[in-house]
Amino acid sequence: MEEDAGEEPGLGRCTAPTDFHFYHMDLYDSDSRLQVLPEESTGVRREAVQAERTYEPRGAREGQAHRALHEEADELVHLYGLEDDHELGDEIMDEDTPRLGTAEYPPYGVKRGDPAWEQRDWRLGGEAAEAEDLGFGGWGSRGQCQDLREAYRYTHGRASEEYECYVIPEEEDEEEAADVFCVTCKIPVRAVENLDAHKEHEVTPLNQALESAKDEIHKNMYKLEKQIIDMENFASHLEEVFITVEENFGRQEQNFESHYNEILETLAQKYEEKIQALGQKKKEKLEALYEQLVSCGENLDTCKELMETIEEMCHEEKVDFLKDAVAMADRLGQFLKTKTDVEISAQPDFEEQTLDFSDVEELMGSINSIPAPSAPVINPQAPNSATGSSVRVCWSLYSDDTVESYQLSYRPVGDGSPGKDQAEFTVTVKETYCSVKNLMPNTQYEFWVTAQNRAGSSPSSERAVYMTAPSPPIIKSKEIRSCEEAALICWESGSLNPVDSYTVELTQAEAPQAWGVTESIVGIPTCEALVQLQPRQNYTIYVRALNVGGPSARSEPATVHTTGSYFHLNKDTCHPWLTISEDGFTVMRSERKTPMREPLASNTRFTRCVAVLGNLIPVRGRHYWEVEVDECLDYTIGVAFEEVPRHEDLGANRLSWCLRHTFASSRHKYEFLHNKTSPDTRITVPPRRIGVLLDYANSRLSFFNVDISQHLHSFSCELHRLVHPCFSLEKPGCLKIRNGIPMPKHVTFY
Amino acid sequence: MLSIPRFGRMALKQVSSSKSFGGFQKVFEHDSVELKCKMKFAVYLPPKAESAKCPVLYFLSGLTCTEQNFITKSGFQQAASEHGLIVIAPDTSPRGCNIKGEDDSWDFGTGAGFYVDATEDPWKTNYRMYSYVTEELPQLVNANFPVDPQRTSIFGHSMGGHGALICTLKNPGKYKSVSAFAPICNPMLCVWSKKAFGEFLGPDQNKWKAYDATHLVKSYTGSQLDILIDQGKADEFYDQLLPENFIAACTEKKIPVVFRLQEGYDHGYYFIATFIADHIRHHAKYLNA
Repeated sequence: MEEDAGEEPGLGRCTAPTDFHFYHMDLYDSDSRLQVLPEESTGVRREAVQAERTYEPRGAREGQAHRALHEEADELVHLYGLEDDHELGDEIMDEDTPRLGTAEYPPYGVKRGDPAWEQRDWRLGGEAAEAEDLGFGGWGSRGQCQDLREAYRYTHGRASEEYECYVIPEEEDEEEAADVFCVTCKIPVRAVENLDAHKEHEVTPLNQALESAKDEIHKNMYKLEKQIIDMENFASHLEEVFITVEENFGRQEQNFESHYNEILETLAQKYEEKIQALGQKKKEKLEALYEQLVSCGENLDTCKELMETIEEMCHEEKVDFLKDAVAMADRLGQFLKTKTDVEISAQPDFEEQTLDFSDVEELMGSINSIPAPSAPVINPQAPNSATGSSVRVCWSLYSDDTVESYQLSYRPVGDGSPGKDQAEFTVTVKETYCSVKNLMPNTQYEFWVTAQNRAGSSPSSERAVYMTAPSPPIIKSKEIRSCEEAALICWESGSLNPVDSYTVELTQAEAPQAWGVTESIVGIPTCEALVQLQPRQNYTIYVRALNVGGPSARSEPATVHTTGSYFHLNKDTCHPWLTISEDGFTVMRSERKTPMREPLASNTRFTRCVAVLGNLIPVRGRHYWEVEVDECLDYTIGVAFEEVPRHEDLGANRLSWCLRHTFASSRHKYEFLHNKTSPDTRITVPPRRIGVLLDYANSRLSFFNVDISQHLHSFSCELHRLVHPCFSLEKPGCLKIRNGIPMPKHVTFY
Repeated sequence: MLSIPRFGRMALKQVSSSKSFGGFQKVFEHDSVELKCKMKFAVYLPPKAESAKCPVLYFLSGLTCTEQNFITKSGFQQAASEHGLIVIAPDTSPRGCNIKGEDDSWDFGTGAGFYVDATEDPWKTNYRMYSYVTEELPQLVNANFPVDPQRTSIFGHSMGGHGALICTLKNPGKYKSVSAFAPICNPMLCVWSKKAFGEFLGPDQNKWKAYDATHLVKSYTGSQLDILIDQGKADEFYDQLLPENFIAACTEKKIPVVFRLQEGYDHGYYFIATFIADHIRHHAKYLNA
């Protein structure tokens, strides 16, 4: 499943190993690889391209993938291998091979050599582009390159041969037409003159040689077309990868920016905090020291004053001195008792501060880790994206998410009955889409998806209901009706659940100039379609059913011949005494020994006249059919409206127009009955094959004796509604209906 | 249009020409070799005749008629124009031959040639209408108009219907198709023709059989025919026409006939005009096949 999802079909990349990454995560891991690039810093686009170039060669180192690439290269050479490119590639490679060797990225770049390549903006400027070009043959060894060139020359050489094959004869046509082709010399030869020179050679008729040359060219054209389609698929896949890489890198860029900004902000904040704390401390210390200084000064003043007082006392009279000395001694003793603080209250140096950078480290550490993605958004089903057994589910991620893989889960939408929980399935894919296979047709499935990266898994997306395309319908071949200008096709749905509409596809079987051209009629709501066609052609018809998911596969084909009118008998209208043969075209009334009881009245079945209606295609054109009769049989043939009374004879009302033959006492009586009346017409030769021409445009119903092209009678009838062929047997015997036959020329005059 | 006549005396003189349904209704006069008198005949040239050779259809008229009755009363020109048929309508007898008794009766002599070659005096010199309509007139027409001689058909009314039937039955393959309006089907048993046959052919009735459709059909062995006959049920001369005898003979010989008894129609040109398109289509089916 994973492999399926990871590839475009038919690209040959299926052989690539599953670890064949080409997503950003490679780049996260591959610093060393990125450094190899001198232009590393030139921008995301360049990196994206580099990534593009990177993934293939790395895969190429795996042996298996290597071969896959080689095969791809072959295709590419076939596709884009113009001679100029080759020469360019060869030349440049010769010059620059050493450089290439060091570049470590033998580019996966054949596409660069193709001037028609659409993604021009992928091209690197100047040098880089050159590097791409020279990588043309640089897959690995020179030997491989040689292979490619040979492969190219093979196709090219063959093409030139073919070219000569049919051009040279044309030139010679102007003088005298060549009539044979010498296979050995590969030239056309005029048989008359030059055959001697090619006596020993293998010679074929010119036409035959021309045909085979054309065949060869057509085959090659077909191959080329196939390759173009493959390459276009491949290119669109590359485009997707390109966009993914571009997006992923853009996201990572933003991611880096926001992370580094966060770290810088954190550091700035820490700096601010530290500076503030430091200033506070400084102020406190200085204030303490100043206070101490002040009190120290005060003490000093006191001491000085005491000193002066004592000196003065020493100069006094003895008596006074002694008196004062005692007092002084007390005072001094008291003063000295008070402790003089000489300790420095604040230390001049500051305390050791620990700087805490743990949070910053954490932030730094988180730069390389990414958040878990948020829930992806699952898309509603795209039109025409489903087949009968698969659907293509798409979703998208939030642009700033980084996603390594998705898990897509699904289960059929149940009918709601409890205890019947349908099994769930899960697939893992890298893309934002997945083609889920092996599903039931015309069935609803609900899908949900989660995104993963190394940080974890996202919540689940909303659930989306997708529907598989229906099963192919089944054409009811036996009920197809047709005429010269149309066919009525009906089919069975083929699906249990209702579908939205049907498409009828038709191809003309014998139209070589329009070979393979398919006409489609779309949006048919019912299991029936009236298709306009060309007269006297054979068509192959297919039907597809459609629902929201897309179209079903084609039904089994049915063929329609638009020769004459083709209808079936409507068995529902058949009188019980009549039997219809296996092929549906012979009406029989068997001999009855005992008279049968009249059947009960009915609205669909004929109960009185022993008749049956045909089911003519509802087209108001010209319809012709024939009836083979026995000369002595009593029969009535003609046309009647659908609602013709079942309990009346045909021709006995205004709803039917008929030829009635009665044979009595060896006389033939022919009546042309409508509303119980008939013109008096005598026919000398009893017809055995009666042609009936119903012409809506001219409002005429005509009867013919086909064997002798004799016109028997024409009714002018107002056919406001559609009529059907009717057949009745008044005596045991049988009628054989022939339809789907061309209208004879003589009939066209009526 | 007029090419040099093959016979010196067969010079054509145009009497009239009128445009009709894109073509031209003309009347010509010429000196007849067979009839040894001046004869008129009518030609309708459809538009198609300007660019291509067209099939030719002869219409033989009934008692008392000239070339004029059919072209003025039947309205055939529209259908003839559509199907691209040249239609020739000859006169019904020699005129102005100054034979005693010629103009005594409406049903004998002038206007009543009965399309036989007279073998009796005084009629045998001039009254050769059978040869005139089957030989002289076709040669004249083929030489002077853009016709395809291989595609010729014939029809007629009453005595002309008898004429059309006997011309066809006596010349298998000469006419692609034949039809008739109220034809005299068994002239040997018809009051008008018994008188005429007696005068023209003599009393030997075996000679009459050669000009009697009902007798001719009994020995017909030629190519496949498809005869269309319309007959009015209210035809005032029905008893003279005896179509039942002809139908019975055809049924026995398996000669294909569609005989339509048309309710309420009489013997006249209104009847003809009603069904002329059916007859022209009947001939076109074979002439344009």
